Amino acid sequence: MDKSSSQRLPPLKRNWWLKHRFFKLYMLREATVLPLVFFTLCLLAGMVALLQGAESWQGWIAFMGSPIVLLLNLVALAASLFHAATFFVLFPRVMPIRIAGHSLPDNAIVAGQWAGVVAVALLFFWLLGRV
Amino acid sequence: MSISKHGTQHKQAFDEPLWWGLFSAGGVCFAVLLPAVILFIAVLLPLGLLPAEALSYERASTLLFSVLGFLFVGAVVCLPLFHAAHRLRHGMFDISVGNDATNKKLMYGGAALLSILALGLVVAGMLG
Amino acid sequence: MNIQTKHISVKRYLPDSSADPYWQQYDLPVDDSTSMLDALNHIKEQLDSTLSYRWSCRMAICGSCGVMVNGIPKLGCKTFLRDYEGDIRIEPLAHFPVQRDLVVDMEIFLEHLAAVKPYLIDDNPVKAYDPRAPETYQQSPEQLARYKQFANCINCGLCYSACPQFGLNPEFLGPAALTLAHRYNLDSRDHGKKQRMAELNRHDGVWSCTFVGFCSKVCPKHVDPAAAVNQGKVEAAKHTLIALFKG
Repeated sequence: MDKSSSQRLPPLKRNWWLKHRFFKLYMLREATVLPLVFFTLCLLAGMVALLQGAESWQGWIAFMGSPIVLLLNLVALAASLFHAATFFVLFPRVMPIRIAGHSLPDNAIVAGQWAGVVAVALLFFWLLGRV
Repeated sequence: MSISKHGTQHKQAFDEPLWWGLFSAGGVCFAVLLPAVILFIAVLLPLGLLPAEALSYERASTLLFSVLGFLFVGAVVCLPLFHAAHRLRHGMFDISVGNDATNKKLMYGGAALLSILALGLVVAGMLG
Repeated sequence: MNIQTKHISVKRYLPDSSADPYWQQYDLPVDDSTSMLDALNHIKEQLDSTLSYRWSCRMAICGSCGVMVNGIPKLGCKTFLRDYEGDIRIEPLAHFPVQRDLVVDMEIFLEHLAAVKPYLIDDNPVKAYDPRAPETYQQSPEQLARYKQFANCINCGLCYSACPQFGLNPEFLGPAALTLAHRYNLDSRDHGKKQRMAELNRHDGVWSCTFVGFCSKVCPKHVDPAAAVNQGKVEAAKHTLIALFKG
């Protein structure tokens, strides 16, 4: 029997994800990359400014402080945390870690990744936060 | 029941493991590094909540235009860009925008171009 | 026993008499133990003998009574009316062509299952008889534990109705088929991984999955197909790397 002999439905309409809360959360997870791209472009602008000189660098910091940019970057911060919350729970399911025949509990792997987030934040505080 | 299929349907997706690998690595960077990076550089710095010398022009240049700065840009700009490209490509398929073959070229191509630009800026700073 | 009356709306499709599907309401007595399947049986026996639906075992083993309940894929026998207040809408499983009422055409699902060769493949199945040889297919508990969770699939197809990627692209092999492929790839007795990887490592194989994860939410046997599919991506990536180095 040929594969094409079975019936095919037309693909879902593009609003399929609006029909269920679970799919809306999925789309929100996928959309976390939009503010991420905005922040990345800001960062690229900052690198160009840094290369141009001290005046441009101060100008870039002022640009980063304008209300709209600050607001969008706060959204990016929230998006990165939401992404982390959704991404960390996937890790033990995609790569279950087995030590001596026993699988490491999922909670331990998720907690370990959050510890990583905190460690990076502490590293930044050590690098930039001290007077 | 024998299933006969055309050769094209059996085509191996040799590129997909690469995109998925970059997506995964970028996802880890986005989740572990980006919260702190955004908090310090895009929130605390412009609000003036960091010590004045923390990211002065001189200190920022020293930090960024170095081997560590190069690695920092790779983990904070390049990999997350490929992560974003992968999700945007699949998101466009999800909402039936464009055609996947074109979207792939646009998204991964864009991520690659911006990555080269970012790493190039660091190298230019190190040389200059 | 607390008996009350509940309303159920069933999406009817009778291609012989009406070209379009329509909703039909039924009122029926339910108690705490009434399942959706009990309700459908009650309708069929007492109210309306024209209703068509599939069922067999009544205990979540056969996997034939899958329907959408308020838009979520469910096994009729494992879903109880006591958990629903107000509107109860029963529809045929999503993403499959409807043949009649709640009966869908699952041919495409069976094709995708067959494509991944979900059975033990032996290198050399015919061996000369050797009385001292160990019994065939010996397996330790540790080897069993590697794939056991993924072996609980009952082929009910709920995960296909939950998967938007299958809804967007019916050529996508889909959660159950990819999970079963992974289950046999993990089996110490199997030697068919290479054949299956050729199916998995295609655009319509593991790479169409975006880890929506709803398949694992609706799975009545807690198989976690999303985990299996994404572990399949790791395997497909390894397979590709090895293929590149071997040329």
